[in-house]
Amino acid sequence: MIRIDHVTWTYPHAEQPSLRDLELHLEPGEFVILCGASGSGKSTALRLMNGLIPHFHEDGVLTGAVTVDGLITADAELDALGLVTGTVLQHPRRQFFADTAPEEVAFAMENFGFPPDEIRARVAETVDELSASVPVGQRLRDLSGGQQQQVAIAAATAHRPRILLLDEPSSNLSADAVRRLITILAGLKARGVTIVVAEHRLRYLEDLVDRVVVMRDGAIDAAWTAADFRAVPDSELAREGLRGMLSTVQLPVASASGASVLGGTPASDVPEGELELEAIRCRLGGRIVLDLDRVSFAAGSVTAIRGVNGAGKSTLARIVTGLQRSAGTVRLDGKALGRRARQRASAIVMQDVQRQLFTDSVAAEIDLASTDAPRTPRTALDAPPDPTGILDALDLGALAERHPLSLSGGQQQRLVVAAVRVQGRRIVIFDEPSSGVDRRHLRSISDQIRHVAADGAIVLLISHDDDLLARAADRQLVLTPADPALRQHRSSKEIR
Amino acid sequence: MLLICSIVVMSPGGLRFVPAVLILAVGLALSARAWRRALGLAATATTMWVLGWLLPLWWPNALVAIVALTCSYLIRFVATVGVGMHLIATTSPTQLAAAFRTWRIPRPISVTLAVMLRFFPVVGAEAAAVLDAMRLRGLAGTTGLVRHPVLTLERFTVPMIAASLRASEDLSASAILRGLGSQHTPTAMHPPRFGSGDLLLMLACAALAVASLVLPAPLT
Repeated sequence: MIRIDHVTWTYPHAEQPSLRDLELHLEPGEFVILCGASGSGKSTALRLMNGLIPHFHEDGVLTGAVTVDGLITADAELDALGLVTGTVLQHPRRQFFADTAPEEVAFAMENFGFPPDEIRARVAETVDELSASVPVGQRLRDLSGGQQQQVAIAAATAHRPRILLLDEPSSNLSADAVRRLITILAGLKARGVTIVVAEHRLRYLEDLVDRVVVMRDGAIDAAWTAADFRAVPDSELAREGLRGMLSTVQLPVASASGASVLGGTPASDVPEGELELEAIRCRLGGRIVLDLDRVSFAAGSVTAIRGVNGAGKSTLARIVTGLQRSAGTVRLDGKALGRRARQRASAIVMQDVQRQLFTDSVAAEIDLASTDAPRTPRTALDAPPDPTGILDALDLGALAERHPLSLSGGQQQRLVVAAVRVQGRRIVIFDEPSSGVDRRHLRSISDQIRHVAADGAIVLLISHDDDLLARAADRQLVLTPADPALRQHRSSKEIR
Repeated sequence: MLLICSIVVMSPGGLRFVPAVLILAVGLALSARAWRRALGLAATATTMWVLGWLLPLWWPNALVAIVALTCSYLIRFVATVGVGMHLIATTSPTQLAAAFRTWRIPRPISVTLAVMLRFFPVVGAEAAAVLDAMRLRGLAGTTGLVRHPVLTLERFTVPMIAASLRASEDLSASAILRGLGSQHTPTAMHPPRFGSGDLLLMLACAALAVASLVLPAPLT
């Protein structure tokens, strides 16, 4: 079905090849996982199979041959390859072209010139399947990560390609959404579709997979059959930088009260804390998105904010940081603060950290942050840490003259964390910091979160990633949609 | 239609058509039940009219003259942007592409326009996120903008363009793989038809156009 023969590929402007003499043959109907640490070349191998390499990257250097369903990728047109393959990229929300699920599902068939009657029939069938777990009438950007993933898979397979390629499909999913993903992939496998998945997390696919291929530095390092793979101990996976089992965490529940809190307590039971929210109510577009009677957060500890999409996690973050208007009061160290004052007291490490790198070098970024640092240390104990020390501690010392946008994703994230620590902000929020990272990087992120908390900050961690929560969080606040109608639609079992 | 409006309004005697296009923009907003947009457009246009035409009559001096000139020019933008907002808010990229196909508009133009329509919300979301990040870093205040206007703009545009580019790469890779711009003749799930609503709209536009030519122009 897919033959990759002695392929070496170098991205344009790269010094090192990303794939070295890669040799991989796939049988029709086979289910293969490509795994390996970040930068091992597994996503690159995937792009080789749908023709994005070499067609999408001019000036890259390709040697060797790739044949997909009888087509030689270097000679075929990209849309001819698109007709026989379906691709789901790492961030489904970035690849949607249409506004709603039915239009998105129809998109490929419309472009490939399927007869309108057939398109309507297949879309109706697909939408029918989706409607069990996805509100198909809603705009795609309002769906949860898991629902977007389902729509993206449906849209990639609607024209019935015989090959499906997925890039880290589980990276932003909750445990429940992962279970739905398994069901969908099992159905496709039963239809005889050849499936290739590039992944960090492995064990959830254990019962479906035929072969596991471990990549390292652009070449195949090890390969396991399904039976071998089940016998491989977790320690061996750790050595390859892979994440095995999905861990489930049991964190102590932070006491909080309000309609938005799952399992809330009476307001009088909520203890005092350095950051306190009282009678917070926020309406957006005519419906209540957040309703909290009383919640408190302690300095120096990390509180995980969990809950289904639409529960108000990001709204809570925006209210605490003063980016969003709301009713109620936010008190920091006993003083009620207005929105402006909250903006000056808090920081967010965003999911897309590129959005918050403003200068032309790593050193300038830190300088900019230090002009913003508190003039007088709050107490002798938590004086703002020394900038160069922080850069070295985060492995960025040698990169001081580099342009922030030329760094890798992980380095960019560490730079933002360094800036936040130099600024010495009291409230620090991490928004999904671990989407799509390998085991080693996961440890480094949780260390950073711990350091920020140890500096004396109040840390809120928004994440679906149980592995990260198990390492970095002290307690959890589970939110649920404040609107009763919505709560019924999205079952609360999605989080446990 | 957006194109016709822009050409008509922006052309050298275009002020004559501004009231008609404004009425059209507000009407379209009302038909889509976007009350806030309708109100906002009407309010902005009125403010511009007051600043640009009434104020100079009351209190003529150099500063007011400059403001008035600017406003009389900007009101043309308000009119066209108003019509454009309706298109972005109500039409999905695939619908637009299908409509262009039935009009037999060349493929390169229709694909480009459809992708642009898809891309506006992406840029908007990225811009909002960068602005949020700047506010938290204390970079977005008016004092900063006044003291270092170029630096502040640079700090806004560079991350925004970088983030938008990354998003656009994913989008175009996925769209091309799913056959956007392929040699196959595309079809449509629901082929667009010229309905009675469209006829009504066209008649209304014609009436407005005739009215602005025949009636005395209030803004010139």
